[in-house]
Amino acid sequence: MRRSLVFAMTVGAVCASAQQSDSVAFHTDPVEVWGTRFLITVICIGIAVLLFTMIKYRGRTTGAVSWGLLIAGIGIVPMVSTGFGTLLVFDRAERVEFCASCHLTMQGFVDDMKNPKSESLAAIHFKNKFIPDNQCYVCHTSYGMFGTVEAKMSGLVDVYKYYTRTFHKPIMMRGPYPNHDCLKCHAESALWLKHDEHIQAKADLFADKVKCLDCHGASNPAHTLNEKVAMR
Amino acid sequence: MAKIHGSSKSSQILLIAAQVLALIALVLGLQFLVNTTGGTLFLFSSGAPMLVFAAVAILIGVAIYKYNTSHHLFDIESYEPGDIVFHEGDVGECAYFIHSGEVEVIREHQGQQQVIARLGKDQYFGEMALLTNNRRNATIRAASKVRVAALGKKNFMTLLSVLPGTKEDILKTVQARAMAQVGGRR
Repeated sequence: MRRSLVFAMTVGAVCASAQQSDSVAFHTDPVEVWGTRFLITVICIGIAVLLFTMIKYRGRTTGAVSWGLLIAGIGIVPMVSTGFGTLLVFDRAERVEFCASCHLTMQGFVDDMKNPKSESLAAIHFKNKFIPDNQCYVCHTSYGMFGTVEAKMSGLVDVYKYYTRTFHKPIMMRGPYPNHDCLKCHAESALWLKHDEHIQAKADLFADKVKCLDCHGASNPAHTLNEKVAMR
Repeated sequence: MAKIHGSSKSSQILLIAAQVLALIALVLGLQFLVNTTGGTLFLFSSGAPMLVFAAVAILIGVAIYKYNTSHHLFDIESYEPGDIVFHEGDVGECAYFIHSGEVEVIREHQGQQQVIARLGKDQYFGEMALLTNNRRNATIRAASKVRVAALGKKNFMTLLSVLPGTKEDILKTVQARAMAQVGGRR
């Protein structure tokens, strides 16, 4: 049992350090970093406990120790891991790297956003650090708690379509881009108020009757993909 | 390898299944934490909770079954020749009254299994663990097709308290078997 625990903790530490090796950002979220390490260690201990119980007891219950190990391995560790892991799911699903992991569909958009020569709205926001982190997510979700849930649910459908290869190219949004995803940052800022067109059309803009992209998308499209990349 | 009785075997298989489900859930979590992609996130966020739920449900079901077994009035059980009723060292949950057939009482001595007694119709076994709160001191194996009435611990102790004559009889048998064990060891 002791050897199994030592092994589990060693594996956990190795996994945690491997995960950290490519993050050389100027800032990291300590909760995310330490939370990940803690979860990896707990999961490895849970795996060790389950393997030990399966080999030693083979489904038999011979007393308090066997029941304790079963409750820990089947109940406590998986429930704690799944519960805390879900918090990390919400955090990691917002990252640009996560969006780019569906490389067949999203890589072109991410490459355009990160291209310093691109004049698309995505690239302008990215290169000027108008959005500090999670740039894809900040623009492509709606404001508020239900916005994030809605975004996650749409994301799950996208993941399903990606892995079943039932997506169609060129990749398009499900509906028109909602104004409030622009206005949540820009509305009634000093720069926004400087333009009379915004003030005159304020009610229509807020009601989504007039689209921000009707004016701004003409000169700077949201993303610039050449046809070859879009259909690849 | 001797077979173990149906209901015990089912609960064993279910517990192993529950452990496998929990193991898969944990592996999905580890995969997600080490390498976060759309696929690993989808599997972890959708699959892992369902697997954990199923594993916990199985564990609770088996726990309830085992609890009911130990508090059962007579439960008629059948064993084929070679089936193990219980192993030496198991926790005692029931006493068994033989309705038909024969069983062998087996003890391990210096690494060898020895048949120290055979019990038949109208005899009983498994009472010592219930009376002494110790683990089973022998393995019981069916020597022929056997039918037994299993009495859970709680009801067995109630039986002894309401039927002092039966209690005396059983205590005499326990004493005789203990003396036979001691005699056998010399």
